[in-house]
Amino acid sequence: MSNPTRAFATIDRGTATTAVALIGWAGGRHRLLGATAGPVGVPESALLERVRRRAMAADPSLLESIGLEHPGCAADLPRLECATTMPPELAVVAATERVVKPLAALAATAGWHVRPVVIEGSEILKVATSLADRHVDAILAGASDPPGADERNLIAELGTLVAATTERRPDLVTVLAGGLASPGARTEQLFRPDRPGPTVLAPSPLDDGGEPLRALLDGLRGGRDDARRAIAAATASLARVLRRRVEVLEIGQSGGSRTVAAWQPGVETAVRTALVPRAALLPKPFTEADLDAVIGWLPVALDRLRLQDRLREMATAPWADAAGDGAIVRLASVRAAAARLLEATPAFDAMPAPDLVLVTGGAWLAGPATAAVLALADVARRPGARAVGMDHARVLAPIGTIEDEDERARLLADLRDDMLVPLGTIVLAAGLRGARAAGQLTVHGTGGPLDVDLVPGGVDLVDVPPGEHATVELRFREVVDIGVRARHIALVVTGGLGGLVVDLRDAPLRLPDRLEPRRELLASWQGAVWPGFDQ
Amino acid sequence: MTGLGAVPGIADTMAWLDEVPLRRLVEAGLEMSVPLPPGDRPLVEPGTEVVPGDLLLEHVRDRRVAEVDVRTPDGDRPSAGSRWAPAPGRRRHADHPGDGELLAPVPGKSGRWRLVTGEHRAQTASSVGGIVVEVRLGAMIRLRVEGLAIRGAFAAGASARGRLELATDPFGDLRPGGIDVGRTGSILVVGARIDAEALTRARAMGVRGIVAASVAGKDLRDFQASERRQRAALHMPEPFGVLALDGALKRPIATPVAALLERLAGHEVALLVDPPALVFDAAGVDLPDVPPDWVRVRSGPNLGAEGRLRELVGLRRFAGGVHLEAARVDLDGEAPMDIPLADLERLG
Repeated sequence: MSNPTRAFATIDRGTATTAVALIGWAGGRHRLLGATAGPVGVPESALLERVRRRAMAADPSLLESIGLEHPGCAADLPRLECATTMPPELAVVAATERVVKPLAALAATAGWHVRPVVIEGSEILKVATSLADRHVDAILAGASDPPGADERNLIAELGTLVAATTERRPDLVTVLAGGLASPGARTEQLFRPDRPGPTVLAPSPLDDGGEPLRALLDGLRGGRDDARRAIAAATASLARVLRRRVEVLEIGQSGGSRTVAAWQPGVETAVRTALVPRAALLPKPFTEADLDAVIGWLPVALDRLRLQDRLREMATAPWADAAGDGAIVRLASVRAAAARLLEATPAFDAMPAPDLVLVTGGAWLAGPATAAVLALADVARRPGARAVGMDHARVLAPIGTIEDEDERARLLADLRDDMLVPLGTIVLAAGLRGARAAGQLTVHGTGGPLDVDLVPGGVDLVDVPPGEHATVELRFREVVDIGVRARHIALVVTGGLGGLVVDLRDAPLRLPDRLEPRRELLASWQGAVWPGFDQ
Repeated sequence: MTGLGAVPGIADTMAWLDEVPLRRLVEAGLEMSVPLPPGDRPLVEPGTEVVPGDLLLEHVRDRRVAEVDVRTPDGDRPSAGSRWAPAPGRRRHADHPGDGELLAPVPGKSGRWRLVTGEHRAQTASSVGGIVVEVRLGAMIRLRVEGLAIRGAFAAGASARGRLELATDPFGDLRPGGIDVGRTGSILVVGARIDAEALTRARAMGVRGIVAASVAGKDLRDFQASERRQRAALHMPEPFGVLALDGALKRPIATPVAALLERLAGHEVALLVDPPALVFDAAGVDLPDVPPDWVRVRSGPNLGAEGRLRELVGLRRFAGGVHLEAARVDLDGEAPMDIPLADLERLG
């Protein structure tokens, strides 16, 4: 920062967690002094004091130098704050299923809980009741442009029903998209001009891959200092600082987000983001399919009804029951949530692969770092090599609230080594056949060369400590997909708490349908990376 | 009652206690909402003060849509949500609609609207006193509730009012055979857990509501299915609700809550579904004192156990190799043990 504050706090107020961090100016740069988190409801001052107390015990002279030696003083520091709120609900209505589907899919990545409503084949009373429901915060009504043959005779019905809903609720935000927003449609004339709620004419979901409409819907959610939007801003700055393509996967109680920022020399960093409420750790409503998805990732046998009750309790008290098999249940839920997040954002996979994937959100911390790396490798099955890190102090979102891009980048440049915990590097090769050895891996690290046989279907862990780099040579008997198609490839990888993870399993991952062998397989992988897994 | 005596030496200067999640024993100023789908007629307006038993709305049980001509001599256009009735003196035929709520214009037919109407109507009374904050046509009525509320984790059924009775101790289960017609009109506190069979029996015996520490998900779903069948019947059943104070996993009712419920026994209370809560009139009821270091295990291996906080012990390694912030707790007189902070709750 141009005029550095001696110390300040960052506060990330989530729907389940309050995360705080103390940042001080020492040795000519900003440093992360410490961070902690607690369940929502625990006062921020108590959490800040916990961090201050521990930092004081570790380095009293540093804290004295920045004036943080007195108990309670951290609560009065200047703050960077952001917050996550429960997603509002958007009724997405169109004449036919064909039109509703893409609109709903787009809106579901803009931070809204989506309630799809189709006119065709529905009772008018049901449609009207659904649109007027007290949980609905806004309506998105759309049509093809020009309207298709299947929807033409229903367009007038659609317009009158939406307009009638706004007569009941004049303050309701209403967005007209596609054919309803075109000048010839005159749909907006059905709405009373003097009502307090706005009627917004929006771009078509087909324009620029739907990004303008998604951005508009995201903006309509409101929420100053929204943490998920701030993560997107901070990711762009981080990509610029690191000069890398950076992807951030965030899983929280109220939703998940995926942001990709691609730095390129000489041009503005391209950023794409999606905020997906269905990617919450336990989405609402939590369906039987969602339960099946969690069970599908469990490496231990748990009674279905009992598990459902435990998840219900986890939804009301997200921090509770985190030890023992509670941690295993959480990481299974993280995998299911991350899979929903990736499934909701297929367009991101068309972008260049990231060099660094950052995970953030308390759920990733349910087990050891190596377990988080494996959880990511289980669901993100894009071939290639990528470093994995964690925003352990949860400072990325608060820093994203700094409006000035340069200032944000300067702070991130100072803090990058403190705030990002290197978890390791995942090397994922696809297209391997057969059960015999597929080749050999040689790791040239500080301890000398290390050879490992490459066996299809397995996960190998190679110890590459945090802060170290190693050159990895992969020699396959056949051509494989490792981001590029090759038989012989050499990579420089960065170490981390989980080291190097060489993943030679199928892409996408194929697991047995029967639960028992499936659990055994998952347990064999998790047992290898999770000390104390079977306690 | 155990574990609630004053502790000498435990002062409110223990600021570190703030790190243990706090749950409010009671809340004031609760807001509740009552569904008001299109067709239902509100009988109150914003600002109306209601007392328990006052009528809130007229509910149409057999909602259907009819087309009506709403043209008037002066050419005024009605708005959606407004009431419509046939002109007085006009003959009514069986297939002609009665009065109802205007839903939306019929596209392409000038002056014709869709009307939500029905023959079978029931009036819904308020289970609580309070002030109407908002009437959103076609959506809901929102009330600010008078009195204090014990918040629950979830509830099902319908909001109801009755005399609070304790059917078991805080640790108990209530079996179906334990409910008879002598409990008619009451809201029963049934201890740790109740199953679907006992819930349906309680409803059949005229009980108005059940309060338990926990209701398993399966029992809740079975009860909700049964409740839907009851509501679909021709005759409206009396309102009946079930309130789970803590969650789905079995544990006893927390001692301070049980102490409060003991004091409320014999009083009229209201069981709310949205939000899940038990509302009572604070007049003449002393709230139990909860020592600041009293804690309860809200999840994990010692679920439901209560004790006293000794100190925070920082990060500790727990089963599964996970590291969590912890506190040392004297649990029900046993040797002190370290428990994750997030598995504990204070009441205050």
